[in-house]
Amino acid sequence: MNQGDLLTRYNYDAFTPDNVLPWLNFANSPELGKPAPDFPLWQLAGTETSLGAVCKQNRLTVVEFGSFT
Amino acid sequence: MNDLAARFAAQGVGSIFLYTHEAHPGEHYPHLTTMDQKFAHARALRDRLGVKRPILVDALDGACHRTYGSMPNMTWIFNRAGSPLYKSDWTDSNSVENALVYFLDVFNRRRERERLVPFRVERLDYRTSDPDGFQQGLARSGPKAVREFEEAGL
Repeated sequence: MNQGDLLTRYNYDAFTPDNVLPWLNFANSPELGKPAPDFPLWQLAGTETSLGAVCKQNRLTVVEFGSFT
Repeated sequence: MNDLAARFAAQGVGSIFLYTHEAHPGEHYPHLTTMDQKFAHARALRDRLGVKRPILVDALDGACHRTYGSMPNMTWIFNRAGSPLYKSDWTDSNSVENALVYFLDVFNRRRERERLVPFRVERLDYRTSDPDGFQQGLARSGPKAVREFEEAGL
């Protein structure tokens, strides 16, 4: 899948089983207790940070994933 | 989750909301095509739904969200080294609080020199079902989101 296809498929324009279900992959998500992949993230002002940088700031960090819809 | 974040902040617990993609795109909040639009939707989440925790935005291709399983409203807890200690395929504040109390007690036990080794546990937790609230959320996105959810049969 090229980047254009990825952007279109991940940001699907209609909630249908074919669009939604292939992305749900919690069973193969990172293992507990092992170093997890880090990713760039952006604050609302546009400043770049990362998941790892946020975690370093606290003893524990709760990350809720979601969206407006 | 806002209340939970406030109550645990003084104990070294940070909380963020990570903005992913539109699970139920509709007329008012359509599918994402640019980062500017993603920032705008994230600000709407903050302002209209009152999310008080820092909101961080994932890349437009959902690199972080996809790697962590792509569930629409999951919660993870990480330690300072960035290793996950808890992962839940849905968000429930009671479940998260239960985990935080446990992990904070682990810190205390280690401070008391108790010898601890990790092990893995699986558990089925329970959240409150709120179909009316869910339908209101779909309606915020627009009639298209309401219709597509009904038709999807998921």
